Order: sequence, then C-alpha cells, then structure tokens
Amino acid sequence: MAGQSNHEPSLFSAEELEFIAEDEIVDIVPNIKMGPLNLISGDFGPFTPQIVTQAPLWLAIALKKRGKCSICPPQWMSDEKLTQVLEAERQSQEISDQLPFHYVEISRLLFDHAPDNIHEIYKVRSLIEDIRNVRFHKVQTDLEAFNGRTIAVKIKNLSAMEVNIVRPFIGRALQAFLKHDSPELIPDPERVSDRTPHVVNNAPRVTGLTKVCKKCLSMESLYSTSVDEPYTVHTHSNFPKTLNR
Amino acid sequence: MAKYYDIDDISIEEEHVLVTFQKAASGVGIDPGSESDFIETGSKVELPFWLAHELKLRQAVSVNVPSCFNQKTRSEIQADAAGVNLRSRCPFFYEFGCKIAPIVDDRKIGIVLLSAFKSRYKEILTKAHSVAFAARSKFWNILTNEEINLYEAAQSAMTSFKKWRMGGPRFQIASVLRKRKMY
Repeated sequence: MAGQSNHEPSLFSAEELEFIAEDEIVDIVPNIKMGPLNLISGDFGPFTPQIVTQAPLWLAIALKKRGKCSICPPQWMSDEKLTQVLEAERQSQEISDQLPFHYVEISRLLFDHAPDNIHEIYKVRSLIEDIRNVRFHKVQTDLEAFNGRTIAVKIKNLSAMEVNIVRPFIGRALQAFLKHDSPELIPDPERVSDRTPHVVNNAPRVTGLTKVCKKCLSMESLYSTSVDEPYTVHTHSNFPKTLNR
Repeated sequence: MAKYYDIDDISIEEEHVLVTFQKAASGVGIDPGSESDFIETGSKVELPFWLAHELKLRQAVSVNVPSCFNQKTRSEIQADAAGVNLRSRCPFFYEFGCKIAPIVDDRKIGIVLLSAFKSRYKEILTKAHSVAFAARSKFWNILTNEEINLYEAAQSAMTSFKKWRMGGPRFQIASVLRKRKMY
C-alpha cells in the first residue's frame, strides 16, 4: 500500500498509481468466446469475437498478453485529438480538461502492452510527452505563488501523476512557510506594515451560486448557502415592466 | 524535548554565538584567552548556543546577533536572495535563525528568514524539478540543509517518476522466492 515502498508517508510511488489506473475501463475487441465475468468491481462480458465490449484495463492487458483480444485505445489517445489538446495547452495558462485523471499511466500501459493497436504510436507518444511537459511547466508557474501569505493555489484538472510528483516538495515547502511566518518570529507591527493591501481580499464574498436569470438576464444570487438566509427570492428586477404582467 | 535525539538539532545548538556577560563569573574556564578563571562583567566570549541560551534565561549574559545575520548578509539577501551562499554562513540558517530570534534583541531576524525563504523557494522549485543530476552540485553548494531536504524531496519524486516512465523490470521477484532458488 501507499507509503510502504517509500519512507515518505503521503507519497504514492509511480507503480502504485499505475496499479490504480488499471481499474479504468477500456474498449476491447475479443477474438475468443467467453461467458461474462462477475467481478467485485462489476460484471464484464460476455465476450464474443469481433464484438466490442468493455473491460478494466488490467483485464484487457491480461487478455492482450495471451493474444485473446485487441485493445481499442481511448478517444483522447488519437493523433488529432492530442494535437488539439497540445495546442490548447500552449494557448492558455489553464490546464485543459480534455485528458483523463490517469492519462500518463494509461498511455504508458498501452504503449507497453498494446503498441500494435495504437495508430501512429511514435507521434502519439511524443505528443503525450510534450503535453506532460507543457502542463508540468504550468503547474510550476502556479506553485510559485506560494509566499507565506498565499497558502493555497487553485489548479484545476491536475492529473494523478503530476500531483504526485510535486506532493513531497510542496508539503515540505508549506511546512517551512508555516514555520517562518509564525507570529512568534515576526512581531505584529512589522507584519502590518509589510502587508500590501489586496484589492481582491476586500471584495465582498459571494456565498452560494451566482447565476444568470434566463428570464431577465440579471446576474444575482438565486440562492445562497448561508445558514441564516437559506433562500433568496429572485425578483426579476431588470425585467422590463411592460412584459412583467 | 521532542527533538532530543535529532542529530541536526544537536549540531545547530553547537553553533557559536558571541555573548556579553552581564554578571561577573568566577571559577569558569570558558574563556580560553583570559589568564584567570574569572570573567568580568562586560567581557565578550564566544559560547555554543545551548550554553548561551541557558545563561540568557538566567539573565547572566546578553546575546549578540550572530555574524550570519549581520547587515552585510541582510543586504545581500535583499539584493538577490537566490544567489546568496547561505550554506557558508550557517548550514542550518533557518533553524538557527528560529532558535536565536527569541533571545536576541533584534526583532528583524524573523522577517529576514521569511523573505529569504520566499525568494529562494521559487528558485528551488524550478531547479529541483528540472535540473539534471550533473548540474546540481553547483546549485547545491549555496543551499542550507533545510533547503537541500526540500530539493531532495523534489528530485527523488522526479527521478522515481522518470525511472517508471523509462520502464525497467515490471515484475520483481519477492525476496522469499529468491531464497528458495538456492536450495
């Protein structure tokens, strides 16, 4: 289990992540006839030659090794799709949501075990490598925001492997920031003068969800999650009176 | 007491600090330069941190700001924190700073530590995840031990990932099975 292969308590090893990723479902085309398999994670099959069916990745690999099926690579693993994703990753600072959580592990498993089922494998392999590099660079840029006062950054769509790589470093770095920013070491008057006013922090906090009312196109809270005022009744304030009969 | 057996903690406390005696003390041979065993009020002696700390608690000495936190270091940190060789100044710069800050009069030490770590953190973040093994020794020489720990954590995560990606033996023989073969 996690932590046993490494003395770092919260760190998965890459092999452990690969193990977790093997539970993802892939499409396979069997070339044998076999009844359904009733597993704890679900029922798979029945397997009929030339009929596409779904199976967890570990099962697909096991069958593939015995020459009993061919694996259909997932949609996102196509040459065109990955080219699009790479383009999107290069365009914006946001990490795109086009790839699954375990894309690094799944692609590696398929490269290793089913290279003949992947169309243009060399291109796909290098595209995934490029995407990973671009994404990792973004993660680093985002993590540079930590400075003792910023204690959290929001990074969307991070994949399992990416978060696992930065985890030990970030854990320790935050621990160090916590230690050095403690009030015992930095007396309060200095702290106040040092602090630059943040416009963002002074802005009123929006609780609940802000939605655009489709009827009158006004943007306001349709409902709030605060305890003392559970529901705010939305009055169509911007709605033209002539129409509001 | 939690760190009683921590070897790093012990070596931090061995760090020498300059103290000024507020009270006269006799029968102590801590000042190798003096001829007698008597220490006058106001004499300056270098003591290890752990002794200075205890004497400070008893109001016997006043502790001077150690040389690794002098004005020169501070202005260097202000100018370019990432390039300062903190290791040569004190191998446990941050830990020592945290320990010394409560017993010296200088309230600025905490701020120096935080601002140094802030700017050096970014440098470590980018270098630790990317720089190749060969290039690291140059960068290593200027890091303090705390920073090296951080750096190593990042490097080992990155190398284990790279090792996995490059492949290698997918199946490992359990040590129990390996023994069996010998029979």
